[in-house]
Amino acid sequence: MHTIQPESYSQRSFIYRQFSGEKSVDNTFMQVAGGVLALSTGKDSDAPGLIDLSLVPRAGFRGVNAEQYVNSMGFPVPASPNQAAMTSQGECVLRLSQKEFWLLSHPQQNVCDRVEGYALPENGCYPLYCQDSHTWFAMTGKHCPDILAKVCGVDLRAACFPPGAIAQTSVARVNAIIIHHVIGSEQVFSIMSDSASATYLWGALLDAMAEYEGQVYGLNKLIE
Amino acid sequence: MKIMNCPLNGPRNISEFVHGGEVSQMPDPNSCSDMEWADYVFYSDNAIGIVTEWWLHAPSGYWFIAERHTASDEIIRTFDASEIFNQRYEFPIKAEEAVV
Repeated sequence: MHTIQPESYSQRSFIYRQFSGEKSVDNTFMQVAGGVLALSTGKDSDAPGLIDLSLVPRAGFRGVNAEQYVNSMGFPVPASPNQAAMTSQGECVLRLSQKEFWLLSHPQQNVCDRVEGYALPENGCYPLYCQDSHTWFAMTGKHCPDILAKVCGVDLRAACFPPGAIAQTSVARVNAIIIHHVIGSEQVFSIMSDSASATYLWGALLDAMAEYEGQVYGLNKLIE
Repeated sequence: MKIMNCPLNGPRNISEFVHGGEVSQMPDPNSCSDMEWADYVFYSDNAIGIVTEWWLHAPSGYWFIAERHTASDEIIRTFDASEIFNQRYEFPIKAEEAVV
């Protein structure tokens, strides 16, 4: 039994039970934002993988001045809605509508620390709390578009859904945001969905991945 | 599966959308009669023909407006609400509330 377990921390992923108890025999964990996420699950192959990133910090802003605020912090601003932009530090800026932006951290950083140094504009911009409301899973591997085609109606093949594209749609009957981007050196499909459905969606995605021998991986798949 | 074109997200399955009722002109809440206000809040015309309606794309929380034929269920056009509602409406404060 490892000494570090998700239960040792008050901050836990929405699906921490999938990584604890009897399921944790091969797991090692890494501290992320006041809790732990699986660093390794003892599996490493080229098979498609699902990685839990739910604790990785993120921040959101909405309003007519949100674009100007995000820009003033030095983040790249995607030109149109449903586009994502990467920073040199591995953060990801999502533009979900004309007036809504989310900032996703790299798993080893905390974008919220950077945001804290900048005061919100007095008008036309307010924070969105997307940390505890949404779960964050990353799907890796060659067959992601084929796997997601089983549970999602949007064409996610590279020709229609290149890196930097976002789809706000239904995945396995649950509302979700799908982002095609890069974490570390790995191309991933990030899936963000209602935290209340996290356990269901985790199981539904693994079920869809079973045909392609999908595995549960840890953060070591994404970070050096 | 029936497809609807969301002005923000593009063509999506109709199961991703929620109907939000007819678009109607709001009477002045301070000067209209109770009957006019009740008509605005509770009643709909339920006409046969092309109607203008609110629709929600639930995964993105995006409200927009669609023109739809209520008999054939054909969706004629969808567009951003800013085409009609292009400025914020500030509700006037009633005199007695202002005193308090």
